[in-house]
Amino acid sequence: MLSHLYNQIKSQSSISEKLEVLRNDKSFRKFFVQFIFAIFMAFFLFYLITRAFSLELGFGHLTSRAGFGISHTFLVDYTSNNSRWDAYFTGVINTIRVSLVGIILATILGVLMGLARLSKNFLVNRIAAGYVEFIRNTPLLVQIIFWQLVLLQLPQISNALTFGGISVWSNRGILLPFINTIQNGSLWVLVLLIGLVISLVIRSYSSKYKEENVNFISPNILSLITFLIIALAGYFILGIDLYTDVPVLEVNQYGTYIQSGGFALTPEFAAILFALVLYTGTFITEIVRGSIQSLPKGQTEAAQALGLSNYQRITLIILPQALRSIIPPLTNQYLNLTKNSSLSVAIAYPDVFMVSRTIMNNAGHALPMLSLILITFLCLSLVISLFMNLLNKRVTRIGA
Amino acid sequence: MQIIYWIKENLFGSKKDIILTLLGAYFIYFIASIFFEFVFTSDWTLIEVNRKILLVGIFPEDQMWRIWTVFSIFSILVSATLAYSYKLNIRISIFYVAFLAIPFLIFTTINLLPYVLAILLSSAIAYTLIYYMKHRLDRKNLSRILIVSWGIFLPSLFLILILFGGPKVTLWGGFFVNLILAIIAILAGFPLGVFLAIGRASSYKLIKLVSVIFIETFRGAPLIAWLFFAWFVLPNFLPNIFSLNDINLVIRAMIVLSLFSSAYIAEVIRGGLQSIPKGQIEASTALGLGPIMELLFIVLPQAIRVVIPAIVSTFIAIFKDTSLVFILGITDLLRIGRLIPEQQQEFYGKSIETLLVVALMFWVVSIILSQISRSIENRLNLSN
Repeated sequence: MLSHLYNQIKSQSSISEKLEVLRNDKSFRKFFVQFIFAIFMAFFLFYLITRAFSLELGFGHLTSRAGFGISHTFLVDYTSNNSRWDAYFTGVINTIRVSLVGIILATILGVLMGLARLSKNFLVNRIAAGYVEFIRNTPLLVQIIFWQLVLLQLPQISNALTFGGISVWSNRGILLPFINTIQNGSLWVLVLLIGLVISLVIRSYSSKYKEENVNFISPNILSLITFLIIALAGYFILGIDLYTDVPVLEVNQYGTYIQSGGFALTPEFAAILFALVLYTGTFITEIVRGSIQSLPKGQTEAAQALGLSNYQRITLIILPQALRSIIPPLTNQYLNLTKNSSLSVAIAYPDVFMVSRTIMNNAGHALPMLSLILITFLCLSLVISLFMNLLNKRVTRIGA
Repeated sequence: MQIIYWIKENLFGSKKDIILTLLGAYFIYFIASIFFEFVFTSDWTLIEVNRKILLVGIFPEDQMWRIWTVFSIFSILVSATLAYSYKLNIRISIFYVAFLAIPFLIFTTINLLPYVLAILLSSAIAYTLIYYMKHRLDRKNLSRILIVSWGIFLPSLFLILILFGGPKVTLWGGFFVNLILAIIAILAGFPLGVFLAIGRASSYKLIKLVSVIFIETFRGAPLIAWLFFAWFVLPNFLPNIFSLNDINLVIRAMIVLSLFSSAYIAEVIRGGLQSIPKGQIEASTALGLGPIMELLFIVLPQAIRVVIPAIVSTFIAIFKDTSLVFILGITDLLRIGRLIPEQQQEFYGKSIETLLVVALMFWVVSIILSQISRSIENRLNLSN
């Protein structure tokens, strides 16, 4: 290529003709433009790096003692004597926790509202439309603060609402009845999750052979039996003792009220969760509605002609087809929800951003902390995208 | 009879419908009773007293003419553009009037009424003039006039606010700051976004790489992290000339918001670039257009036209996101809404009242913008 160009240049006599050859050569132009661009970028990067060296760099400060408490710890034991890395990790766990619960609830809400938006029932349709128009067009931050204020309007703990002793609602948080176990509870949940994955794998494998008519039992029952066996085995080996954990409101020996037990929703967690679920739910509603509307009408009519019930029509015909166009924009919304969870800094829910801000206030090092946040969110986004891409592959394979 | 039939068909068609309707009616009753009880039992004097602070913060009284000028030119230009672009649609006009009436009723006092009426009147005159002129005059000339006047107005907006002893940026506040931040972010973000989109679609590997890194970095972290970047780190990266590294937090927020929105706009425009049929590019090559000409006259106009509704949606998202500067301590609408119940003793603890008004302001602007986006989308679908 180059020698060809060289020969061409050599064959021209005057300099202007030589330049003309260069100007008209596509690969040379490509090289030249990128070369200039590279020089420019190199200068820019050099400038940024020299500037960055005047800042505090490095992550050494993260190994020293944190010195601040975190109000919400989940799955990890954290005290102010732990290192800043541990604090950061606690924040990451809190972010994952609120995002995961939020994603699940927002999906349920969004699908229900998307179906309601298409309902022939005028009132249901209008409620879903009103929900979308009201919630989607106000800033999320305003909504988060709104829910926190509303939850703080709940009665003080001394006259908390108890709903006949099954639940405690006060401005210190909402306690819901819950099934709990005395020991090894989280281990058993892990076993259940592993069992779920194994049974799903078995189900997909055995349904492959279903077409060849060689399996004895239906794949659904087979996977259910597998799951039950794993669950029961875990139950007896780990010595699980389930009991219903009903929250209680009591007065201790100093005469102050305390609420304990049950599944606790603190005002901060509940506020950020409500706001994220309601806000992201509106976008999912619109995605679901758009995808279902874009399906050909013949699908609905064919399902009706086959005599399928409404429920069967939606779960067997409409949703599986709509999922193909739902999943890519849905992934985007999940990423948005995860990123938006960092707004909890406004109401002091200690997510990764809030913890980093505390560390920045205590120890400086703003640039390293912000890069760490960037890396953390990139990793979370990658995990979500990876999972959703797998799901997308599965969904688009059906009937293709 | 028809009404009864309609009710029977749409609300009580089957047993399930009856249950859903009753549940829905109860739900509406529940929400509406809470809402109206709150609205009618609350004392709204805190809004009446703080009207000006909510809208423009502590902007000096003797400089208010700057905001009035900007507002009136903007209003006249918008009405002229609407008159030029759309036929009068009664339903949509009622929609706009109804929503604009909300801030009008909340914020207009007797003192301000003459100003507001004058602006309304001149906008109405501009609307009728353009509406009847557009058939008699050459359409192309009219559109040129409109585009040029927008092109002059948008940059001069800031000159009007700043030049000849205008108040410092630190005195900007209230809803005005949210609007200005959003407008700047989209105005500065749009050209950068176009460049990034072209870079990402380019066959030049290095340029593509840099664009992808820029876009994905800005989209990867939440906006609040970038605003913290503007707060703590950005001054260090700005050059030391003209005391640029000492600039105000509002301007730093503007820079970061522009970069952030450019990444999102780039992704939107990339979608538009991908929607251009290959025949268009082949045709332009056949006509002998060079790559730059092809981009400027064939690809970009079509690509941008297709994604205008999506760009308006991005604008709405950025506009809502400007409320995040609250966390930096910039006195935007949300921060003022939070400060009033904290600092004015007579209104202590009335946080929900101000928050509702703050939400309402954002809601009105967003819903009008989304209606505009819908109109543009309908027109694009029609012309296709």
